[in-house]
Amino acid sequence: MAHERVLVVGGGLAGLAATMRLAELGIDVDLVSLVPVKRSHSVCAQGGINSVNALTRQQGDSEWKHFDDTVYGGDFLQHQPPVKEMADWGPKIIDLMDRLGVPFNRTSEGFRDQRRFGGTLYKRTAFAGATTGQQLLYALDEQVRRWEVEGKVRKWEFWDFLAPVLDETGRCRGAVCQDLVTMEFRSFPAGAVVLATGGNGLIYGRSTMSMVCTGSAVSRAYQAGAWYGNGEFIQVHPTAIPGADKLRLMSESARGEGGRVWVPRKPQDPRDPRSIPESERSYFLEERYPKYGNLVPRDIATREIFDICTTEGLSVEQDRLCVYLDLTHIPRETLDRKLGGILEIYEKFQGVDPRVTPMKIFPAVHYSMGGLWVDYERSATGGLVEGSFRNQQTSIPGLYAIGECDYQYHGANRLGANSLLSCIFSGLFVAPTLANACGSGSRAAGDESRLFDQEVRRQEERHRSLLARTAGVENPYGLHQELGTLMTRVATVVRRNDQLVPAYDEVCRMAERWTRCAVSDTGNWTNQNVVFTKALGDMFPIAKLILKGALLRDECRGAHFKPAFAMPGLKATDPVGRRQEAEQWCDTFEANTRRWLKSTIATCGPGGDPEISYQDVDTSLIPPRPRLYGLVGADAIEEVWKERSARATDHAGRAAQPAGAGA
Amino acid sequence: MMIRATDDAHAMTDAAGAQRGELVRVRILRQDVPSGESYWERFEVPYERNMNVISILQKIAAQARSQDGRKVAPVAWDCNCLEEVCGSCTMLINGRTRMACSALVDRLLAEDGDEIELRPMSKFPVVRDLVVDRRRLFRGLEKVEAWVPVEGSYDLGPGPRISPDEQEDAYPLSTCMSCGCCLEACPQYTKVEVVRREGESEKDFEARRKAAYDAAFVGAHAVSQAMLFNAHPTGRMIADERMKALTRQGGIQMCGNAQNCVAVCPKGIPLTRSIARAGRAATVWAIKRLFDR
Amino acid sequence: MSGESPSFLERHQFLIYRLFSLAGFVPVGAFLIVHLLTNASILAGDGGRTFQSRVDMIHSLGPLLVPVEWAFIFLPMIFHAVVGFVIIANGLPNVGSYPYVSNLRYTLQRATGMIAFAFIIWHIWQLHALGKPFGGGRFDAHEAASSTAAVLGSTAVSILYCIGILSAVFHFANGLWTLGITWGLWTSPAAMRRANVVSIAVGVVLAAAGLGAVAGFRSLPADSASHGHAASAVHETLPPSSP
Repeated sequence: MAHERVLVVGGGLAGLAATMRLAELGIDVDLVSLVPVKRSHSVCAQGGINSVNALTRQQGDSEWKHFDDTVYGGDFLQHQPPVKEMADWGPKIIDLMDRLGVPFNRTSEGFRDQRRFGGTLYKRTAFAGATTGQQLLYALDEQVRRWEVEGKVRKWEFWDFLAPVLDETGRCRGAVCQDLVTMEFRSFPAGAVVLATGGNGLIYGRSTMSMVCTGSAVSRAYQAGAWYGNGEFIQVHPTAIPGADKLRLMSESARGEGGRVWVPRKPQDPRDPRSIPESERSYFLEERYPKYGNLVPRDIATREIFDICTTEGLSVEQDRLCVYLDLTHIPRETLDRKLGGILEIYEKFQGVDPRVTPMKIFPAVHYSMGGLWVDYERSATGGLVEGSFRNQQTSIPGLYAIGECDYQYHGANRLGANSLLSCIFSGLFVAPTLANACGSGSRAAGDESRLFDQEVRRQEERHRSLLARTAGVENPYGLHQELGTLMTRVATVVRRNDQLVPAYDEVCRMAERWTRCAVSDTGNWTNQNVVFTKALGDMFPIAKLILKGALLRDECRGAHFKPAFAMPGLKATDPVGRRQEAEQWCDTFEANTRRWLKSTIATCGPGGDPEISYQDVDTSLIPPRPRLYGLVGADAIEEVWKERSARATDHAGRAAQPAGAGA
Repeated sequence: MMIRATDDAHAMTDAAGAQRGELVRVRILRQDVPSGESYWERFEVPYERNMNVISILQKIAAQARSQDGRKVAPVAWDCNCLEEVCGSCTMLINGRTRMACSALVDRLLAEDGDEIELRPMSKFPVVRDLVVDRRRLFRGLEKVEAWVPVEGSYDLGPGPRISPDEQEDAYPLSTCMSCGCCLEACPQYTKVEVVRREGESEKDFEARRKAAYDAAFVGAHAVSQAMLFNAHPTGRMIADERMKALTRQGGIQMCGNAQNCVAVCPKGIPLTRSIARAGRAATVWAIKRLFDR
Repeated sequence: MSGESPSFLERHQFLIYRLFSLAGFVPVGAFLIVHLLTNASILAGDGGRTFQSRVDMIHSLGPLLVPVEWAFIFLPMIFHAVVGFVIIANGLPNVGSYPYVSNLRYTLQRATGMIAFAFIIWHIWQLHALGKPFGGGRFDAHEAASSTAAVLGSTAVSILYCIGILSAVFHFANGLWTLGITWGLWTSPAAMRRANVVSIAVGVVLAAAGLGAVAGFRSLPADSASHGHAASAVHETLPPSSP
């Protein structure tokens, strides 16, 4: 079975983790990446990686609580077994990365240091300076380089994944890719193909994502028939540095280390922020969320910052939306030691020292919770069956997805420092699955080469027709800018149906205009122009499914916020009225859960238009409960909710196994 | 890699207040194919506040016209993260090697007149325009075995305990993003360009290319990585292998102590400290080898 | 591009470069120090008597002098020079693009190496017995001071000597600093800075000695014999203040 190769597309954390483990299992790997794998977008992750650890365990933490925080933070939209499995793997993944030489920060005793991140009350996050993602990626890059020297891995850097190749039974047999230097096409027959191609922030024009995050590979799989899940769930990071070419991330660790978010109480107070007295500052996150303070989950922080600038008009600047993120009360040495890297980024790109002057920040598109729908096989204990051919498999047999480009782990909202974990976990975990998939399907060699030839010809034709389009009138870069502006306006922090409907039509028109895009470079050597135009064309189907998913989902869940369907807090002040309102609130919540606690599944219809359906979510381990961060009357609602859950448990007559397991 | 036009009226950040109307003049050394003729082309793009070289190149890609209005192919260049952690966008900007993303136009104009000059790195073969082939750089990492030689990725407990001092010593070295600035500025690191011969098989060509890389100076980045892993409790278990690599042809002895590497490193990595440590380790190692053999 | 099998030089590059570095320090550098300090004894103010006695001491080796010279001076120097030229040929100075002090020193190290080499050839031709067959070799061990003074009587020659000496001294002092890095004596930036101060001090002392000697020889009365009387002028023409 081992003479079949596996094709890994994408060399970020997930792709490299899978490659390393595959090589270890004796499988030969072809690793295709748009950029040298060491330059993948994973390097941008700054803050850290979550896992239960010896310290938090003694404070009452457990894998179960990590799992619970993750599904609660994700508003219960993720299937629970994969998340449970991930949380269970957390400690050994951190240990592994530690063994691989990641320079995690240390305590004075020489153990790994941890910090607290959003959405939890425990110091669960291991970190390496302010470049944890970079450090983790490098450790895996080094191991893969080692396997490359051994001859188990062959890297194809500066190659673009164009399409999966499916046989007549619909099974994926490999892929066709293109060399971005010589522009040649090549078939990659493979026992299994795994996409680890990350997010699609470029659909939003500017985001915190890298320039390769176009989502094109995922889009191509989607157009070939793979289902896309939860597309409308796009995380907007609360704190980014506004820039002309990119919105650069300011890590959540800035708040984890004590950074405070505030605005002057007087709109656009022109004074130097340092001279504004405490009494004239509004630390609005701390005021509204006393328990979590500046470390509320990302969707809430984002909405609050957005809201204080737009609705309340308290933006720090007149002509640009932003709030202060203040670290100036923390000693310089502490900042340099714990946050040096990210503060340098601010200083480098803004020319201001954040140790002295509060930073100006604003939310930016950051992470795609949604992605290719993938399957899993549930084990008896509620986790996953390791090595099952179903794990991480897309709706196309033989085609797998891991990392940010799957929809599996983060539900409606991702917790900070969970993405690095999900990427490494899914990469490691999928490897035995892929190894088992190799050689599992019978095949006839002759037919196969015909399949690949066909696909190569189709791709060559697409390429040629693009190059021939010199008489077109549309500029791909201008069109991309329009798409980004539109998507950012209607499908980020706040969504309204009256905006989404026309926006969908507008994107359809843009997709149509794309067919008239002219390429200004008609050569056949390192033609970035045509590669970009191709990727742009593949953004439209995804943009459409994001918009349509958002339009159809008439509720608020995680990162998807529709004010028209928000569930307001309680108004009554007297105990009886509050009780009554709380009962009603819980009724509405239950009804909403029945209606909307479902995965959005998009399939690509004719013309790239999505067909949306819904799929039940496996919430068998932790029953959904309301997310009440900072809601008025949260106490009353919680009380009612607890009574109801207790009744439900009694009725069902089964012990609350999951809750007990965590104790 | 991917290129994208900037957006000056962004819905979320509403970038305003840029001084409009002014044009930034750029002169770019272009080359259509490897080993081809290079030529200068001039461009003009509208000035914007807080602009960097990446935004200039994005605008050039979008307009695809030279200064004199001719329709030209967009300039090819490498970039990815745009926040100086991926190491992609190294080029010669006003004659000096640096990252295009963190090269702010205001500062460039202040330091060097009214025109910005962009050239590809000179120590690596040009692929096209500002894109160069930096595979030799990664080959250097293979040569010095820049990795921790773990016995598989299964759960075998945590890594070794490491003091905060050791961590603080190692961390800066570990932030090396393989951008190649240290190599570009190094007077001892000279270009190696291997061209495939007529009728040469891919395998033979690869072997010849690697041999040519290995014969030349491995470079400051690789020396520093070797020191990083030789300091790691597990990494140092193959310290001898790395010392062998560092004392082979093209090893540490090629360093000429110009110390440009440390001066141009965008991450401020103490490369000369690593080089001196490698020198010390090589001294001790060579003497030990002499007497232990 | 390397061929199929690397050459001897390529296989033993590390060893050769380290020996090259070592040779620059001992014996070549050590000889430079002895040589310059010996010459500086002309400044003793006794009309060259001290200088003559030092020369006599060296020449007391008699027939051994030639093999000692070859083993400890000429051959190491030739080795250092040959490898040095290989190194220079393979480098690509770029001080125009990267005008940093240490880069300037890198470039100067190579330039002064070449100047010093040319100077030494000329110097040997002019004064050493080896130069005799070629019309040089004007040093007379029995008339050490006056024969040297006669050569340095020419202002042009003196200027060239000053350039040659300064090049050699810079090359040695700067080489001392880089040697410490090469061999790993000083590794941290702070240690390198401290070592730099020491190297500069060594350089200043040697430059003073070297230039002082030139001045000292030039100020000897033309007719003063090595065993003759001290020239009172010596004290008035002490070396120019240190560079």
